[in-house]
Amino acid sequence: MMARSLPRYARLSRSLVVAAALALSASAALAQDVIKFGAPLPLTGPLAPEAIKQQQGYDLWAEQVNKAGGISVGGKKYKVEIVYSDYQSNTPRAVQTTEQMITQNGVNFMFSPFGSGAAKAASSVSERYKMPTIASTASSAQVYDQGYKYLFGTFTPNDTLTTPLTKIVKAKAPNVKKVAILARNDLFPLAIAQEMEKSAKENGFEVVYFEKYAIGTLDHSATLSQIKTQAPQWIFVTGYINDLLLVRKQMSDQQIKADVVSMIAGPAYQEFIDAAGPSGENITSAAWWHPAAQYNGKDIFGTTANYVKLFREKFKSDPDYAQASASVSGALFQMAIEKAGTLDKEKVREALAATDVMTFWGPVRFGPTGQINSLEPPVFQLQGGKAVVLSPDIIKQGEFKLGVN
Amino acid sequence: MLAAQILINALVLGCLYACIAIGFSLVWGVLNVINLIHGSFIVLGAYLAWSLYQGFHISPWYALVIAAPLFFVLGYVIQRVILNRVITAPVLVTLTMTFGLDLILNNAMIYYFKADYRKLSLTPPMGSVSIFDVVVPIDRLVATVAALALTGVLYLILRRLRVGRAIVAVRLDRDAAVLMGVDVNSIYAIAFGLGAALAGCAGVLMALIFPISPLTSTAYLGKAFVVCVLGGLGSVSGALAGGLLLALIEGVGSAMFGPAHATTLSFALLIVFLILRPQGLLGRKGFE
Amino acid sequence: MSRSNLFLLVLIAGVAALPLFGEAYALRLGTIACMYAILALSWNVVGGLAGYPSFATAAFFGLGAYIAGVLLARGMPLAGAIPIAGIDSFLVAALLGAALLRLRGHYFAIASLSLIEVFRELVNNATDLTGGGMGLNIPLAASAGVMADATFFFYVMWGLLLATAVMVMAVSLSKLGFGLSCIRQNETAANMVGLNTTLYKSIAFGLSACFVGGAGGVYAAWVHYIDPSDVFDILYSVKPIVMALIGGLGSPLGVTIGAFVYLGLEEVVWRNYIQIHSGVLGVIIVLLLLFLPHGLMSVRVRQWWRRTKNV
Repeated sequence: MMARSLPRYARLSRSLVVAAALALSASAALAQDVIKFGAPLPLTGPLAPEAIKQQQGYDLWAEQVNKAGGISVGGKKYKVEIVYSDYQSNTPRAVQTTEQMITQNGVNFMFSPFGSGAAKAASSVSERYKMPTIASTASSAQVYDQGYKYLFGTFTPNDTLTTPLTKIVKAKAPNVKKVAILARNDLFPLAIAQEMEKSAKENGFEVVYFEKYAIGTLDHSATLSQIKTQAPQWIFVTGYINDLLLVRKQMSDQQIKADVVSMIAGPAYQEFIDAAGPSGENITSAAWWHPAAQYNGKDIFGTTANYVKLFREKFKSDPDYAQASASVSGALFQMAIEKAGTLDKEKVREALAATDVMTFWGPVRFGPTGQINSLEPPVFQLQGGKAVVLSPDIIKQGEFKLGVN
Repeated sequence: MLAAQILINALVLGCLYACIAIGFSLVWGVLNVINLIHGSFIVLGAYLAWSLYQGFHISPWYALVIAAPLFFVLGYVIQRVILNRVITAPVLVTLTMTFGLDLILNNAMIYYFKADYRKLSLTPPMGSVSIFDVVVPIDRLVATVAALALTGVLYLILRRLRVGRAIVAVRLDRDAAVLMGVDVNSIYAIAFGLGAALAGCAGVLMALIFPISPLTSTAYLGKAFVVCVLGGLGSVSGALAGGLLLALIEGVGSAMFGPAHATTLSFALLIVFLILRPQGLLGRKGFE
Repeated sequence: MSRSNLFLLVLIAGVAALPLFGEAYALRLGTIACMYAILALSWNVVGGLAGYPSFATAAFFGLGAYIAGVLLARGMPLAGAIPIAGIDSFLVAALLGAALLRLRGHYFAIASLSLIEVFRELVNNATDLTGGGMGLNIPLAASAGVMADATFFFYVMWGLLLATAVMVMAVSLSKLGFGLSCIRQNETAANMVGLNTTLYKSIAFGLSACFVGGAGGVYAAWVHYIDPSDVFDILYSVKPIVMALIGGLGSPLGVTIGAFVYLGLEEVVWRNYIQIHSGVLGVIIVLLLLFLPHGLMSVRVRQWWRRTKNV
């Protein structure tokens, strides 16, 4: 019913009257030429920290586009407006919000809600309304194998993270024979742990321990004691920042040491590096993107270095893969719309499906399922309190180091 | 060796669980209120410890001294101003009331502190000691000792002080206590204040061990539930027994069936206990 | 039939006209309104009539959602999956009820609350069947377009609401309803005059789970994707209680109005207080309990409430 953008709204919140006035002014703005993008975000609830990153990524892109005059469609310039809404980290609400945005707020295109679970749930709404949608944080193949035509994703499948990691360990740490895997029982962490088990077995490692822990687990001591008795040389843990911090702390408590310790997805975030401190040293991880990458893109941001520079100017911190993915999702829409030369959803969808372009995020092509299949995600290691890229070779910054104490 | 390690882990964790649950148990026993704000009180205590350490380099040990009176007053006021108005209503009403209060406090914390996970890392870290290959982290050990000391203090208050005797009297028989001239309303407020103070102190200790976020409050609350039912309500020794039993079940359960089943096991056991032995391990019979 | 029951049927019939006016989003809200009313009415059987503080609604909502979800994912049609979800929920609840309803007051509240936890973890760990933490995807049925879909699920949920309302009325008019009232007022006495209280309570618990399970099933088919932390959300247990408190405990009409009012509040609060909506919800709950402990119905039509309560 009301179109509103979050920052404006936050300032003026708490008053229905003002909100109503805002709705009027927003509908007045409609008279101008604006393309509206819907972005449902988990601004409150467990996923709130992730929502902020998404928002930063989208905002940076929108600001750049509008600064350059807008998106040109058939010779006419359109400004970009991003419509945000909070779905409280609650998947049904995400679905509801998506429908609300499409039917009530009249958005032209959609970004998926955060993570594989919510993106998958909301994709059925997008599909029903034939609404081109880019998922900027959904990696699991199960999201894309539903046969949907309107869903695209900027994360490669999970095995593209675990396979290069396994290759490096195999090449650089010949003593590593036994792997222990501990996974959070949740869509993304569990899926990535299963890929890890697969690629470990394929590369001749022995998986001596594979267990899931429940969401909200407060204590891992029994589990870790058990892992310790197996004496694995490689410990692989999945979860979110809080889980991984707790596991890492309890590993030190229990004096568990290993040649290789890998954690996904914590170490990609500065918060993890800060909170883990010296105990983070030599932990390996993998992510879909890293600010050290050097791509020369054709998108609005151009080179990776330029993207990092713009991001730093606006937010005074380094971007991680979550923010970059949000930005590139916007940039991909922009290129597809300009190529299609129309706002027609069907045409834009076709243009998106035919995307084959270099961006600051890396080369982008979508596979038949809509998921990107052209990226080679970097593997990195925390060394001296910083993330150092180990592979792929074109963006390599340092050598793999053994031993996590 | 693994067995010994798991036992030691459970012993230490059990004392921490008891510490989480004891204030909850007191409030339930005395006021007959299931206090759903308890988890958020603990998180607030953890934030207090974290802020004092980050901002003023005040160590968590001193933070305990600051937290106790602060939370006592907070609890006292909440009980006097809000909870006391519905204290005679059925459980449904009091429970829903504390749920509403918890929504407010938790949302306020998310708004103020954001949902990011914080970590209180002592510099230098305390490390761990090992005896015959059995490893015990020192910070947990110290927190355990502090938790035991807190329970000891509560025990002394209830046994030795006049107000403590009055609390016990109200718990055992409210009507008789009234006849004996006890001001029940003020005892309720003091007991709720004590419960809040214990939660705040537990939070300070938990800050040493767990990542801090408003989102962890439900996990603490869940543990408090199980501990109370397993051990029996309203008694200090019951909370300790319940905490130890829960930690043992989780430790052994996760070693035998995998960590994913540990929670299921503990809640299933809770239901079994409720049906077969509602008074808990050490509880007295005849409580509703 | 009492006047308030008649009004309830008129109200529900009125809701059925929604597709004549609303577009897709209004239909979505309408579907949620019906779902909330089902949860609240069902809760009222055990919470309002029998006076047992049940927090098990979310447990059976999730159970129904997963039973129907698994069946639908394996190709069973909706018309088969929903009744099976409802009947299974009834049986599971009746059996559990026989054991759990021996508990009173706080102990029953805690036990019913723990059911959510146990069910969620069971579903979480049965990865092969339910997908565990990865969630369960329910394939899109061949779609006849957006509006047709929205209208279809609205009417399915509405039909279930109508069935729930009829069930609740039948219960309150029958010997069962009389027995439950006796149990609420004095269970020991009810037992002594020869009422089989265990049987009565089990049936009541089963009935209160049956339609909740059905609603869970419809919900699963409607949103196409469920995961354990969504459908076993404790809020599904608390919300019906708040709705019943808003409307006034015991009266089906009050409870249904409470559900609609609650949805309205939720929608307004959610739209307007992005950062602090759960806190605002908390404030509403607290104020409601402090100043309107007998619900909206108590404001003007106190007499009806008394009468229906004592049916």
